[in-house]
Amino acid sequence: MIRYLLSQLASAVLVMIGVSCLVFFLIHLVPGDPVEVMLGESANPADREALRQSLGLDQPLLTQLFSFFNQLLHFDFGHSLYSKQPIVDMLVERIPATVELALAGLFIAVVIAFPLGTIAALKQGTRWDYGAMGFSLIGVSIPNFWMGPILILLFSIGLGWFPVSGREGWSSLVLPAITLGTAMAAILSRMIRATLLEVLGEDYIRTARAKGLPEGLVIIRHGLRNALLPVVTLIGLQLGTLLGGAVITEMVFSWPGLGQLTIESIHRRDYPVLQACVLFISMAYVLINTLTDIVYGWLDPRIRLGQETAQ
Amino acid sequence: MKSVWVFLVLALLLGCTQKTEHSGFRFGLASAPITLDPRFATDATSTRMNRLLYQRLVEFDVDMQPIPGIATWQRLTDQHYRFFLNRNALFHNQQTLTMADVKATYESVLDPKIGSPHRASLSMITSMTIMDEKTLDFHLHHKDLMFPGRLLLGILPKEQLLNEHVFNRQPIGSGSFQFKAWPESGKLLLERRRDGALFEFLKVKDPTVRVLKMMRRELDMIQNDLQPELVAYLLEKEKLQVSTIGGTRFSYLGFNIEDPVVGQEKVRKAIAYALDRETIIKYVFGGAATLANAILKPDHWAGASNIPGYIYDPAAARRFLQDAGYSSTNRPSVEYKTSSDPFRIRLATIVQQQLAEVGIDVILKTYDWGTFYGDIKAGRFQMFSLSWVGIKNPDIFRYAFHSASIPPAGANRGRFDDQQADQFIDLADQASTQKEQAEYYARLQYYLWQHLPYIPLWYEDNVFISQPDIKGYTLAQDGNYDGLEQVYRLN
Repeated sequence: MIRYLLSQLASAVLVMIGVSCLVFFLIHLVPGDPVEVMLGESANPADREALRQSLGLDQPLLTQLFSFFNQLLHFDFGHSLYSKQPIVDMLVERIPATVELALAGLFIAVVIAFPLGTIAALKQGTRWDYGAMGFSLIGVSIPNFWMGPILILLFSIGLGWFPVSGREGWSSLVLPAITLGTAMAAILSRMIRATLLEVLGEDYIRTARAKGLPEGLVIIRHGLRNALLPVVTLIGLQLGTLLGGAVITEMVFSWPGLGQLTIESIHRRDYPVLQACVLFISMAYVLINTLTDIVYGWLDPRIRLGQETAQ
Repeated sequence: MKSVWVFLVLALLLGCTQKTEHSGFRFGLASAPITLDPRFATDATSTRMNRLLYQRLVEFDVDMQPIPGIATWQRLTDQHYRFFLNRNALFHNQQTLTMADVKATYESVLDPKIGSPHRASLSMITSMTIMDEKTLDFHLHHKDLMFPGRLLLGILPKEQLLNEHVFNRQPIGSGSFQFKAWPESGKLLLERRRDGALFEFLKVKDPTVRVLKMMRRELDMIQNDLQPELVAYLLEKEKLQVSTIGGTRFSYLGFNIEDPVVGQEKVRKAIAYALDRETIIKYVFGGAATLANAILKPDHWAGASNIPGYIYDPAAARRFLQDAGYSSTNRPSVEYKTSSDPFRIRLATIVQQQLAEVGIDVILKTYDWGTFYGDIKAGRFQMFSLSWVGIKNPDIFRYAFHSASIPPAGANRGRFDDQQADQFIDLADQASTQKEQAEYYARLQYYLWQHLPYIPLWYEDNVFISQPDIKGYTLAQDGNYDGLEQVYRLN
């Protein structure tokens, strides 16, 4: 297992280095000049050149890449072109809000999707199944920019239970988490239903039942555990997306997360901030995927054993 | 499912107990201030916030004439101004504001290593000499009658400037408000110095959500950046106070003069006559805008009151198109770029329809702000719409229309290269009195109206909405938040 873990982590590090290079070169391909962003349209050429030199932008691209990696190793992403704030501070301010919303959304999704998907699979073809899948169809069809305001109208304005927006304690987390979680639950429940149906038709389930195991145990220990593999992948992908910032939901609920920061930095052409955001999002994806792979190995020992024997 | 219900009930209880109650004031913003360091602030929100936090040497009156802020001044020669501090001001850290602080602030902005976007507008300063604690001389390398009106920067304390204090996050000013905290991203807490009242500024980007927060009393005040129908909705449904004042935000259609289609003056005139601006103001803005014929309003000291404006006349528009060689079988096609802001897109589609009616095909292209603005600066457009916000000095004409200001040297984005316009601008700069300057600017604006490098559209009103118990706020023409100095809550 340790060798498996180490190989997963090593490949994650390689991917991160590749991603960092890609982000660096892509940002340099984006049209626009950071110096012009900083000095405005009326600056004279001498001032532009002086600033370009002081920022090191007159250096060859490879030198800039080297200093970029050097900065990364010291967790220094530079400063925002506009606010002059250290970008690390900007990320540190935003990441807790993003993680909080992502986990809350995921929690809502999981607690809705698992019972719903399981019931739909066990009661296949009944009104329970149609009801659950109808819910999932509605959930996946409603866009967040509509769902959010409707929840606000209903629960904030109508019933007065939750604040309209902002990040002020748990109460303000409920509506954005439901907005995010419902859409995710819809996808997840469909996946759980499909994989569980497939697993429940397997010989080992029949064997378990024939051994006289209680139905609940058969479903949880043999059914759900084996149906989990694709579901875990999906959860990992969804969590990666959420950690990248749920832009629409953050916007509707004025949630001060990473998604808003990324969009703002794109609009303003604040290249260093954008670079750091993209890098963080990519790394979140890599980490989540690595974790997913590790969970895979734990859920299905054949995966890690397969790798060990191949080596 | 049990855990879902437990979670929901818990959340519900927490939601009920944590209803937002506060003793201060909450002000909703469409965008958060980017920096609280006046040396770097260029966006409207940061500029308005910095006015609350810092004091300036010079202010403007309603006619946009420079008037004393914390200093009065004398013009000793064309290139020599003397400024006198006219009050005893204290920074928020209780240090006394002196001319050493003023000098340090302006020196910092003029330092190329700092990279201040305001440096170019102050580049005429050659040196500053402190005469005494309250007197500072500015020496210029050329005559500039508008010089006092350029000294709008908030004054920073010298000691902290030398220590490279992070003013953008922890501002130390001498204004009527002082910084308390950034509770989190998009939220800023200031304290009013005269009575200790707390003001929380919250970024709520979505206008609908801002309105919903007003309805639930999560906000006390909001200003501007609202679609007219939202204002109308609030007026109809809620007992909120709405006040408006004519604004200085100037909206216009810009053209690429080097383009073979819109580069023709006749085509631009056809467009000007084809636009029914009055109807747009009446129905789209709900009357909350006034027709514009020039960048500066007629009541500006350098404004022009003799410009008749283009009145909606589709027949005249067709005539101009015909004169330009177009017909119903040979319709001109114009690509019109605008930002992806929904309200701006709505306006653009109306313009598209009105131009189609006289025989001009408009291809509408909308982009995110960065791409759109980048294209405009690079000259990649035929026609675009934009606004000038916070224009106070008539030097905007040099910046936007002089041939020496074609990007990257300025904001003459349409590449308008006209000797007569250049001459008016140069003569205004060289004038020896403000009256003489005003005459040249009036003639220039008339000339621009005739030749249409821009088609002036309208000045958008400023709108302020508050809860019924909020009193004492005065709206400013330029949309600043200075009215917060006097605002109070009825008990």
